[in-house]
Amino acid sequence: MKPVIALTKGRLEKQFLHYYEALGYDIDPLIDKGRKLRVDTNDFQFIFAKGPDVATYVQYGIADLGIVGGDILAEFQPDVFDLFPLPFGACRMAVATEEGKVWSNGKKRIASKYTGITKAFYKEKGESVDIIKLEGSVELAPILGLSDAIVDIVETGNTLLENGLVVEEEFMHFSARLIANRSALKIKRAALQPVIEKLEPKGAQPND
Amino acid sequence: MFLPDGSQDQIGDSLLKKQRVYQIFTDVAIRRGYKAIETPVIEYAETFTNPHVGIPFQQLLKWFDREGDIEVLRPDWTTAIARALMKLNPKESKWFYQGSVFTQDKDGVESRQAGIEMIRTKPIEGEIESLFFAIDYLSAVNIDDYLIELGHTGIYEKIIEPLMFTTTEEKKLRQAMHDKRQDVVKALTERNQTVQKQLLDLIQAYGESSLLDEYKQIFKDETDIVAILDELQDLVNVLKQLGIDQTIVDLGRVKQLPYYSGTMFRGYLTQTGDECFSGGRYDKLYQQFNQSTPAIGLAFDVDVLASAITIEKKEKIAIIASSETYVLAELKRRTISDKIVDVLYTFPTDNAYDDIIDLRNEGVE
Repeated sequence: MKPVIALTKGRLEKQFLHYYEALGYDIDPLIDKGRKLRVDTNDFQFIFAKGPDVATYVQYGIADLGIVGGDILAEFQPDVFDLFPLPFGACRMAVATEEGKVWSNGKKRIASKYTGITKAFYKEKGESVDIIKLEGSVELAPILGLSDAIVDIVETGNTLLENGLVVEEEFMHFSARLIANRSALKIKRAALQPVIEKLEPKGAQPND
Repeated sequence: MFLPDGSQDQIGDSLLKKQRVYQIFTDVAIRRGYKAIETPVIEYAETFTNPHVGIPFQQLLKWFDREGDIEVLRPDWTTAIARALMKLNPKESKWFYQGSVFTQDKDGVESRQAGIEMIRTKPIEGEIESLFFAIDYLSAVNIDDYLIELGHTGIYEKIIEPLMFTTTEEKKLRQAMHDKRQDVVKALTERNQTVQKQLLDLIQAYGESSLLDEYKQIFKDETDIVAILDELQDLVNVLKQLGIDQTIVDLGRVKQLPYYSGTMFRGYLTQTGDECFSGGRYDKLYQQFNQSTPAIGLAFDVDVLASAITIEKKEKIAIIASSETYVLAELKRRTISDKIVDVLYTFPTDNAYDDIIDLRNEGVE
């Protein structure tokens, strides 16, 4: 059976395909896939899922390897091997709020998709906050008065800017990462090792 | 009425398979000279959360008792048995157990285990008996497609000694090793390039047992590490002599509970990748009782084994009786010991039976 690789749909997918093609793999079947969520290439079977689900499919051994954002791994902490960063999908986690925000003395309300990361961040700081879980467009929350600030990933900062928000503090840097199922990495070593080695960014080898 | 996540009613074949897995385990353990032990399902949290054991408090299923102490459902057999054996102080050293453990971190809270504990067993003897037990038992449940993996807590621990890490730093590094996270291991060890290189090598040191020779070369100046690699090689050789040709190693494996100290092993089912047993040496566990008692053990995942075994279908016979032939039918049933026998009073309309014996008119004048 071919090794199964789970890919995060959307932005990371495009960046991965670009990277994967540059490594000499044929990506045509992955581009002309239409709405199919499962695609076979000569070497692998690829499945396409949302970031947190990529981690889940790898944790449960449905997929052997996964390409997923470091932010997702930090938030959901799946039980997988988290091998190394890939040279794309860079972003950072930041606290952002309205420009010129005057903080009250009371307990802050923070809106975020990343409630786990937010909780850990403020715990580390020793500050108690109330966290409101949102699913997207978190930039709305401070503007509409739902929260004092947001914790979210920032890539270019354009979305924040256009919505009148500024970064208050940056605290984590992420990129896309290669993850592996804990058993598959061992049991299917012969099949997986070549692609793992190929995917490992050259020039940034940890042994260098 | 609903069940909580992960809780399950057990019926039919899947229940029978679990019972079969337990039954054969008991047979094998008794045959190999082990004595049965069972600790209560309910204990104090402290037994499992104290620094010697270190099971995370969050993982426990817990509540307050009337005095305000925190009680838990048994999360771990090994720790509970250590507590019990210290109190009972028995002369026997080989023990077996089976039953559920409860933690919040799995899919659902209850999982079933069957395992062995050996106390006062010397290095290598205990390791060999544990692995031989595993092979014996897996063969008894007709599972032959599996891989045994060996590791050792000492390799990583020896390598990081020069780092002089604080507990917090070491914990971070150990987690990164556990996750085989190259970039984080690299970042945490910048202060010592030699150690950094060794740890990054170690992350990759998993696979066939021929790696042992390779790493003996790499660490040839570290006598303690060479001794560990020799010990693992001995185990691989012994397994080979017993017909287990392929043993894998993960030299970068680190302990997940503080009481592990020495060889660690686990078994994977090759087809599914499921971990079917795990265990190792934990000489430090008994230090909490101010005892230096070497100990080793392993636990099988009963749920994984049950889903991997097959139960042969027995032939099903129907004996048709009438009000005059109840006793005759029962006597007939007693003569058939290797099949499933139903006694019916009407002729079955479906094809549920392999054979039908009609005794309705037998002996009736």
